[in-house]
Amino acid sequence: MKTIKRFEHINAKTIDEAASILKAGNASILAGGTDILGAMRFEILPDYPEILVNLKSIPDMEYIREEGGMLKIGALTRLEDIAKSNVVQAKYTALAEAAHRTASPHIREMGTISGNICQFTRCWYFRLPDNRFDCVRKGGKKCYAMTGENRYHSIFGAVKGCVAVNPSDTAPALVALNAKIKTNKRTIDAEQFWDMVKPGSTILEADEIVTEIQVPTPAKGLKSSFIKFAIRKSIDFPIVNCAAMIGKGEARICLNAVHNKPYRCINAEDVIRGKSINESSADAAGAAAIEKAKTLPGDRNKWKIQLARTMVKRAILGCA
Amino acid sequence: MSETKKTDDETKKEISNLSRRKFLKDAGLVIGGTTVGSMAFASGAEAQQQEKGDNAPSETTPTSAQSECRAPIELTVNGGRYRYHVEPNWTLRQLLRDEVGLTSPKDWCGGMGACGSCTVIMNGRPVLSCLTLAIECNGAIIETAEGIAKTKHPIIDSYIKWNAFQCGYCTPGFVTTAKALLDRNPNPTEEDVRDALGGNLCRCGTYQQHPKAVVDAAEALRQK
Repeated sequence: MKTIKRFEHINAKTIDEAASILKAGNASILAGGTDILGAMRFEILPDYPEILVNLKSIPDMEYIREEGGMLKIGALTRLEDIAKSNVVQAKYTALAEAAHRTASPHIREMGTISGNICQFTRCWYFRLPDNRFDCVRKGGKKCYAMTGENRYHSIFGAVKGCVAVNPSDTAPALVALNAKIKTNKRTIDAEQFWDMVKPGSTILEADEIVTEIQVPTPAKGLKSSFIKFAIRKSIDFPIVNCAAMIGKGEARICLNAVHNKPYRCINAEDVIRGKSINESSADAAGAAAIEKAKTLPGDRNKWKIQLARTMVKRAILGCA
Repeated sequence: MSETKKTDDETKKEISNLSRRKFLKDAGLVIGGTTVGSMAFASGAEAQQQEKGDNAPSETTPTSAQSECRAPIELTVNGGRYRYHVEPNWTLRQLLRDEVGLTSPKDWCGGMGACGSCTVIMNGRPVLSCLTLAIECNGAIIETAEGIAKTKHPIIDSYIKWNAFQCGYCTPGFVTTAKALLDRNPNPTEEDVRDALGGNLCRCGTYQQHPKAVVDAAEALRQK
């Protein structure tokens, strides 16, 4: 087994302390550790972090509570706790299901929700051990997946030349549920949270830390659902996943793993909004969702377009 | 050059003189010797561990030049208290294997959290010891497959009864994960077991047997 290279480990006592360490230099956040430690072991990043700031030593960061018309989830709440929570299962079905379908049971026991929404992409050129591909996301000039092996890559084009996809399962659920992500500096709409900032996938600044996820309680009559296609049922990253919240003349549908960031299907929402949910209306919405989809050079990811259409359809049917 | 050739010839001669029977006899002696040796070692290690478990925490003192960076941690492993000075980059798996001497947390996927064979129970949660830093285990209560076997947990007999393994390499990971499930859910269905063991890989492919073995162990636990 490749050993993890040396680094300095600091137990932060407060968010401010953690932020000041992040601001000072080449440091990285350590929460659940399931993504960053793997990335460090295989040295996939251009800069090996000199310092890891442990957030688990900060008190009161792990909670699920409903107050003020919203669900508040602490940034360090483990995915398994969210999946098992009765409150989340009852009213925020898409989020509970998304947390349940993330990774493997062990990773859900260790991984946190904030880590899940801030994880690195799974593009195999990006993640090849020893940082062998100097790709655009790492500050290079070329996207190797664009003309290379891209069967799992974006079907909605490139962002800044990169065709990697966001691999999070909880991200589309948060967008569909119209959640807000609170950091130590501001509160961001889930829809605006992701962007390609190299090499991470969020718009967070270097010393910005997610502190809480806020999900407004859906009005009565609104239902949400989440569906995921992966090669293996219990352990894999999504090939395509989709979350939807529909009812009472409202519709929010979000695909993920199809684009650089979670892809909100505005066209599909327009088709299904206010209509009764049945096989044909869901199918029409699915067709609308992929109107702008296009394959990458080589057509290797053409299958994902068909998948995306079906995922949207089934997510809508799940809200019936 | 000629000297080398001579040696080669001599070697060939020796090999041809060595009868099959003699070879088997010699090899048998070697294998027998190894077995006795390792058995003696195992019983010695066990005695040492029990001592550790009963008395004050054992301690290792850092010896290398890098020892200044080492942090002291104290943790409970299978009921015994241990104190170590650890490097920040040590994983729990490294600590358990290299320092505590427990070899049940296996390495298969190379430390990316993909196979589940290094699973240990940490504070009641099944976690991957390859992605857990030892420095963050201060005060943790750890249980490994060795500890589960030592307490004569019904899961062990059940795994043997249902033949839920072939080569056995992934078994410690399965056993720890299953034990963590039974601790939380004393009456799991086969579907629950499939769900909980979803992160453990077995390349021999004995997946069908695991749910039966765990459900059976739950039954045995309830009757206890």
